[in-house]
Amino acid sequence: MSRSAASEAALPAASGAHPPDTCPLPRTARQRRALHRTEHRWALLFVAPPVLGYLLFTLYPVLFAGYASMTSWNGLGPMRFTGLDNYTRLLGDEYFHQSLFNTAFYMIGIPIGLALALLLAIALDRRIPGRTAFRTIYYVPVISSLAAIAIVWQFAYNGDFGLVNQVLAWFGVDGPNWLQDTTTVKPAIILMMVWKGLGYSMLLYLAAIQSVPASLHEAAALDGAGWWQRLRNITLPMVRPVTFFLVVTNVIGGAQLFTEINIMTPTGGPEFSSASVVWYIWRQAFRYQQMGYATAMAIVLGVLVLIITLIQFRLNRRNSFSID
Amino acid sequence: MKKSRLVIGATCAAMVGALALTACSGEDGGGDGQITFMFRGGPDEKAAYQAAIDRFTEETGVGVEVIVTDADQYATKLQAAVAGNNVPDVFYIEQANLQSYVASGVLMDITDQVDELGVDLDNIWQYGVDSYRFDGELQGTPEGRLYGLPKDVGPFAFGYNKTMFEAAGIPLPDPDVPLTWEQYVDICTRLTQDTDGDGAIDQWGTGPNVTWNLQSLVWSNGGDFVNEDRTQVTVDTPEFAEALQEFADLTTVDGVTPSAGDAATLDTYQRWMAGEIGFFPVGPWDVSVYNELDFDYDLIPWPTLGDGGAGAWIGSLGIGVSGTTDLPDAAVELVTYLSADTEAQQTLVDANIQVPNLIDMAEEWAAAPDAQPANRKEFLDIVQDYGRAMPAAYTYGAAWYDELWTNIQPVLDGEQTAADYLAEVQPRMQALLDESIVNAEQAFAGS
Repeated sequence: MSRSAASEAALPAASGAHPPDTCPLPRTARQRRALHRTEHRWALLFVAPPVLGYLLFTLYPVLFAGYASMTSWNGLGPMRFTGLDNYTRLLGDEYFHQSLFNTAFYMIGIPIGLALALLLAIALDRRIPGRTAFRTIYYVPVISSLAAIAIVWQFAYNGDFGLVNQVLAWFGVDGPNWLQDTTTVKPAIILMMVWKGLGYSMLLYLAAIQSVPASLHEAAALDGAGWWQRLRNITLPMVRPVTFFLVVTNVIGGAQLFTEINIMTPTGGPEFSSASVVWYIWRQAFRYQQMGYATAMAIVLGVLVLIITLIQFRLNRRNSFSID
Repeated sequence: MKKSRLVIGATCAAMVGALALTACSGEDGGGDGQITFMFRGGPDEKAAYQAAIDRFTEETGVGVEVIVTDADQYATKLQAAVAGNNVPDVFYIEQANLQSYVASGVLMDITDQVDELGVDLDNIWQYGVDSYRFDGELQGTPEGRLYGLPKDVGPFAFGYNKTMFEAAGIPLPDPDVPLTWEQYVDICTRLTQDTDGDGAIDQWGTGPNVTWNLQSLVWSNGGDFVNEDRTQVTVDTPEFAEALQEFADLTTVDGVTPSAGDAATLDTYQRWMAGEIGFFPVGPWDVSVYNELDFDYDLIPWPTLGDGGAGAWIGSLGIGVSGTTDLPDAAVELVTYLSADTEAQQTLVDANIQVPNLIDMAEEWAAAPDAQPANRKEFLDIVQDYGRAMPAAYTYGAAWYDELWTNIQPVLDGEQTAADYLAEVQPRMQALLDESIVNAEQAFAGS
């Protein structure tokens, strides 16, 4: 299968790149067959690395995980096939449900982050003094080490002497102990994630906004459209592909949330209120050596992400348009 | 044109080859008279071990490839190495993982080789050696076969801020007699005060963390986490409940710790180092940092709640040999160098990060006239006399133990009584312990 798919994909490119003057004489059918065979061989060689890479590093691990998820396996010794036991156990595992809920809750940060990023991009699109400095400042968190950021925020959220509560105290607010309180730990982590991701989304939005043809804005302005109408009817639809891209990648990234949780709340938070699915998977796999069970959770998570992404693509296709 | 295609083709072929190689190279490179040693640790450990390793190579002619990882990545990397059939010849093991590693054949039985090498095990802490013994049923018993030697023993002692006591005019606690709980709470209450008169309390009696400090209180009250043969979770006893309740009351009733909930964050540690906390636990790994602080401190036995005597836990990390190593004799010899080599131990001790593994060296170290903290003999007392293993150190996995802490916050906040909570959590812990016992049986049956 890979052989035919590979040659189909590669042939047009190869023959297209072939300048006509290298073979000026008319070819016989036999010559052509020989040439095709050579071309086929080359094509195979060209596509082999990605195909082999896919087989080795994606397909094989996925199939392996599929099998491992149906075994009792500690990651060290032999696997013992147990059928769907791990999956039925998942249904009754309250910590898994809680971690799924927590992970879904963290996704609230995505629309908030995108809205803020778009506003910032619009603000920084204008010719204001120091805009390069601002763009840089907002981008710094993106290139900083996530582990370092998580540790700094952990200090900032400290209920006793943390920066966040000190600032709140100026306004007479007695801040909670953010990371030790079941009601505030998730919002606290969301705030940090939004802050961390802002610069990246902003940069993409900025690029998208600047590629909106000025003629559209001019035409709308001539027709009497105000700032808000132009934003709603021109800018937003024109940056749609970027929004779509960001939503999809953010949802996938959000589903894999781990480092922040593991550093800021190493025990999964008070009453398991901050544990994400991947954190719980990691804990089962590497602390409790329940590799089979952890793999089953990973498969479920993967399927959920796949379904959500498919829905997003479907919705996007239905709403898409072209301005040609 | 042709040439460039040739070049690209060759590159592709090379990539294919490289892919195939990475995928298939599962064998470790230990066949050429060289062994690998994987561990985690800071620069001091690295320096100490490098010196021991150099001497080992000089004497045996066997080279050692050292792999160092971050502390939080070690377990993941080791497990990946095991799954990839690429186990380092010599590596650190945690007490709690010993049984599953033995069952899977990842760890080699080193009893006979250690014996032949003539290592004087009587001069290494018995707790440290026994931690890596396993008789097929129980871990930590002196009869079991040996699957590793201790990298260290980590007695978790109790300390106090001497400077603060002197300023407050409180007599210094006796280093040999543990405080009773009443005495302890009384001192804490006297220490908890507003020293600069701004209306906010800025000095506290203590600031313990439940996950690391509850054990000694429970043990001193005659309670425990599991029964003797580690099959029954015993957290629902009155002794255990009283200990947890007293622990929570320190914050919610006695008010001698910083505000509720903070005990689980870093800040009491920070406050202790800032000189704002009276009593605080001290591990050997803390000493190098604490010795640089602006105040004097010293060690005392943990306060006792009941009449069970002072309690304390001892951590430990072990060094084991891969069951599939090509050079078993050299690997075991390296373990003995790392665990019991005099000079390597001296380097670690000089760096103030661990208690010596060798008993004679440790006694000399504790008795040194310039010892800082002065009563560092307390560390040895814990290892020798009254210390115990962490509750989950010798069970097959720690899930049952972690369950205790997951939902404990309402008790610490005073919203739920300790007895209620413990009655509620015991069945869940028991179920997890039962499951781990079944897992252990299956693992050993399959091996």
